[in-house]
Amino acid sequence: MIQGLTRETGAASGAPVVSFEKVRKHYGHVKAVDGLTMELRPGETVAFLGPNGAGKSTSLDMLLNLRKPTGGRIRMFGSDPYHAIKNGRVGAMLQSGGLMPEVTVRELVTLVTSFHPRPLPVEQTLKRAGIAEFAGQRVDKLSGGQTQRVRFALAIVGDCDLIVLDEPTAAMDVETRQSFWANMKAEVAEGRTLLFATHYLEEADQAADRIIVINRGRLLADGTPSQIKARAGAKRISFRLDRIDEPFLLGLPALVNVEIRHDLVQLQSSDSDRTLYALLDAGYRPREIEVSSLGLEQAFIAITAEDDHSRTRDTSGSTLQPAGGYASNSR
Amino acid sequence: MNSTLALARAEIRRLGRNKRYSIFSVGLPVVLYLVVARSVQHYDVYGVAYAAYYMIAMASVGAFSSALTGNAQRISQERKDGWVRQLRLTALPANAYVVAKIIASMVITVPSIVIVLLLGRFYGGVHMELWKWFAVGGAIWIGSLTFTALAVAIGYRFMPDSVQPIAMFAYFVMSILGGLWFALSGVLGKIGRVLPTYQITRIGTDLISSRPVPVTAYITILAWFAAFVVLAVLAVRRTAETV
Repeated sequence: MIQGLTRETGAASGAPVVSFEKVRKHYGHVKAVDGLTMELRPGETVAFLGPNGAGKSTSLDMLLNLRKPTGGRIRMFGSDPYHAIKNGRVGAMLQSGGLMPEVTVRELVTLVTSFHPRPLPVEQTLKRAGIAEFAGQRVDKLSGGQTQRVRFALAIVGDCDLIVLDEPTAAMDVETRQSFWANMKAEVAEGRTLLFATHYLEEADQAADRIIVINRGRLLADGTPSQIKARAGAKRISFRLDRIDEPFLLGLPALVNVEIRHDLVQLQSSDSDRTLYALLDAGYRPREIEVSSLGLEQAFIAITAEDDHSRTRDTSGSTLQPAGGYASNSR
Repeated sequence: MNSTLALARAEIRRLGRNKRYSIFSVGLPVVLYLVVARSVQHYDVYGVAYAAYYMIAMASVGAFSSALTGNAQRISQERKDGWVRQLRLTALPANAYVVAKIIASMVITVPSIVIVLLLGRFYGGVHMELWKWFAVGGAIWIGSLTFTALAVAIGYRFMPDSVQPIAMFAYFVMSILGGLWFALSGVLGKIGRVLPTYQITRIGTDLISSRPVPVTAYITILAWFAAFVVLAVLAVRRTAETV
């Protein structure tokens, strides 16, 4: 058991708050999580970003001791997940899940607070979670949004060092989402580490210091939002061309994606200089050339598309278009 | 242990608010006893007056039905709803949920036993030494502990839709064949003797009629209790992965 490890000590020593070492979760042939390795450092806000079915929830379930990994090792605060949770170092909110019926919100929060080794005042918790106004209502009579906020309250009843959220704003409207993240900023300001899973790119972009992109159970990218955006496919080149030679365009170097509408061509490229030079060196003189940075969405699509293509190539043995940088017909 | 007790307290408070519990586990046996006990005169069962036999039967019925069907349904529903999973995320120790359920069940069963026993004394005219009253109540209480163990096994093994019929079936078999609804004789009577419900009733009636209680009664109840505990442990372990 790790006791007396304050957040300050954690930060000074730099010991990882969470570490996944080659973690696997297989269900028969299905590899929900396939060799995930990553570390969370104290005070970071990290987003697990990936489409539905990418393995985010499964990874969080294993982190929170709800599922056992098929292989690999998970450590939290230097010990195993079970002990970290029972020592009250982790506050977690899942995407769904019922609460105890026939008790009031206040009774439920008071109850769960009594489990925690370092409990915080109940009234404060109710305020922080924004549920003080219906604290006297019975838990089974709440709306979906209210229930989610109660679940959040249960995650913050005690003084914990790590907060884990699984798709926290999935059921929220824009306003609620914004106020939720405003609340989270306050929680994290005291040095807490935050890990959240999301499929909302904007949310990851705006809220996280670091994004871990996951697809099909594998880690595809790990970096700051700007680093992710700067990765493969992070530039768009658009221009107009009168006579478009499709095969040629598809063979351009560093190409990730092509969209052609009449005479308007939009390319996604991982190296816009190379692509542009190749286009010009071949003698083309396109008009209205624009080279711009892509948002996280395009970077994300490009990263996962790259991964999908390399997988399909591995299995089928033939290339699919666009050939990206791996084309056999290079210039 | 404190967290477990806190959870048990919350469960007890919650059960106290549940009207269905009050009606079926306390109200029904009370009403039945008031209606039936005095209407059957000069008819002995297991060597005691009918009012005495019926007192034990009704005290048992109230205690066992809530211990078995109530707990099994709640456990299964709470697993399905995700409340049990939610508890795993808190600092509550593993297994505290089951222990708290058992503690709460044992506490909540007391009123249903005590009220019927009081009715037996003051309405049904059943008389015996004070220590025997505690012994009879205690035997029924141990019985409800036994059925709570079975409830944990059923609640962890089956989904809410199946739990209802399965728990009811187990309860009817135990209570009818065990002679809680009416005394059985003949072949059915012989089959019923292996059941803990029968043995508990016999312990009660033997105490009332000052007959020696056979050791086999205790052994039978203990064996059933051990079997249900094993089933419960297996059922809980089986779900350790996902819930």
